[in-house]
Amino acid sequence: MMARDIILKVDNVVKRFGGLIAVNKFSMEVRRGEILGLIGPNGAGKTTLFNCITGVYKPEEGEVIFMNERITGLPPHVIIRKGIARTWQKVRPFKKMTALEAVTVGVLLRKSNVDEATKKAKELLEFVGLPKEKFYKLGTELTLVEHKLIDLARALGTEPKLLLLDEVAAGLRPHEMDRLAKVLVKVRDELGITLIVVEHVMRFVMGMSERIVVMHEGRKIAEGTPEEVASNPRVIEAYLGTKPT
Amino acid sequence: MAGKAKIIGTQIFGLALLAIILGLVPPALGFNIYYVLLATIALSVTIMVAAWNIIGGYAGQLDLAAPVYFVIGSFVTTHLLVFYHVIPWIGILVGALAAVALAMVLGYPTFRFGVKEVWYALLTAALVVIMQRIAWFIMTSYYFPILGSNEVYISQYIPEDANPWLYLYFPMNYTIYYYIFLALLVFTVWINLKIKRSKLGYYLAAIREDELAAEALGIDVRRYKLYALMIYAAILGVAGGFHIMMIGILAYKNFDPWLGIVIAVMGIVGGLGSIEGAVMSGLILRTIEEWLRSSFGAVIPGIHYLIYGIIIIIVAILKPEGLAAIINYVKKKLGLIQYG
Repeated sequence: MMARDIILKVDNVVKRFGGLIAVNKFSMEVRRGEILGLIGPNGAGKTTLFNCITGVYKPEEGEVIFMNERITGLPPHVIIRKGIARTWQKVRPFKKMTALEAVTVGVLLRKSNVDEATKKAKELLEFVGLPKEKFYKLGTELTLVEHKLIDLARALGTEPKLLLLDEVAAGLRPHEMDRLAKVLVKVRDELGITLIVVEHVMRFVMGMSERIVVMHEGRKIAEGTPEEVASNPRVIEAYLGTKPT
Repeated sequence: MAGKAKIIGTQIFGLALLAIILGLVPPALGFNIYYVLLATIALSVTIMVAAWNIIGGYAGQLDLAAPVYFVIGSFVTTHLLVFYHVIPWIGILVGALAAVALAMVLGYPTFRFGVKEVWYALLTAALVVIMQRIAWFIMTSYYFPILGSNEVYISQYIPEDANPWLYLYFPMNYTIYYYIFLALLVFTVWINLKIKRSKLGYYLAAIREDELAAEALGIDVRRYKLYALMIYAAILGVAGGFHIMMIGILAYKNFDPWLGIVIAVMGIVGGLGSIEGAVMSGLILRTIEEWLRSSFGAVIPGIHYLIYGIIIIIVAILKPEGLAAIINYVKKKLGLIQYG
């Protein structure tokens, strides 16, 4: 019974870059329908772990299991077909395409007809709350928060079961963060998509996650509810350093 | 959907307009053989630019190997005619298939190992030189002993009582070739428009804009690049087959690296991903080049290239987006598009 509730299992994953171990025997389980926060100081290996899950990197050791299926080392375009989508820390917009066209590209994974895909893309852009007058703007004419919304809609277009969000709040103003947080909760509640939110901004991730995993130097150092994690001495040490004695 | 009907209507109107305007060129030139020949060559180059738009403009790969697939079409058509008496219509078809096969053989490892950007440009540029050497070897060691020449003069191998349409053989009548190439150009532009509005077109644009993001949205980048390369090669193969029947002389130097660069430059000046820009750029630049050559080429040898280069630099400085930026501006004023 337990296995069915686990949508993603990361088991002892190792990824090295030369002598540097970015992800070091990292394991975690993600439950279906939850919003899981993945936090850690700069260089903790969060983005590398993401890249191991989505197929950008092939882990040297360990397994990634998605819905009871081994997906370790499969290429990104295969993994997304299985239902894991991602957004980017640094937005990767399609500059010479309109917002609507960019989202249509995502939808085309499941719907080959361009007209149907465009219709669906419009619905998704409305869902994430991009103003209608921006639909026909080119990538070069949009702001950062708009790019983040489009990036999100693009990923939703692929009809994922699990969505990995890499520092979505980075570079946003507080009121923009709140707007985005509302959309993300809506994604989980209305579309039933499980979310893993990698984040730096504590307020953002603490406010919306049910469970938090803390990563430091490639390892998991804590796991629990936001309150448990925030009071864990190892986490405080990782973020602030040890107390002077 | 009304929007879709409007787009298709605009496209048909555009294609018809292109056919009519260009169709009036031979009468406007008074059917002068020399001028019509030059106009036909301009069309032939424009077809190459329009085909390049698929790999270079849509998929964003700076391909400099247009002469490879073009001359493969010429070579196969000529070879089958001379040695096996196969009519050019079949030769052109086989030539196009050969060009597609070559594109697959070359494109698969190229994209498999992630050769892109400047390295892709270098690789494709080198390809033209390699093909030229292979052609030189074949023509000097195999053709020469049999045909008595390093070049093939096609008219010698056309049967006396040949049906001109069957053999695409219209000596001193370039007007017919002109209209054949015009039909081919309209067809190529139509394919471009069709691709742009299809899943393939969206995927190629995404690959051009950001490969990694495209792959993360489920696009098999290698496969779609290969599709673009194969379509490009097929069009060039067909055009090359018709071209050699018009020109009538096959030489290893037809594998011309300079031509590959010219085609890419024309595509870029036209504006990446804009078929209207590609067509206008091909027609205008080729005509200017010819005019400069005939007007100034004899005054100081080579001066026409200098002027041609200066024109391209001026366009690049004033309109880095290419002619497409001007076309989009006009379209926007006419209310044909919502953005641009």
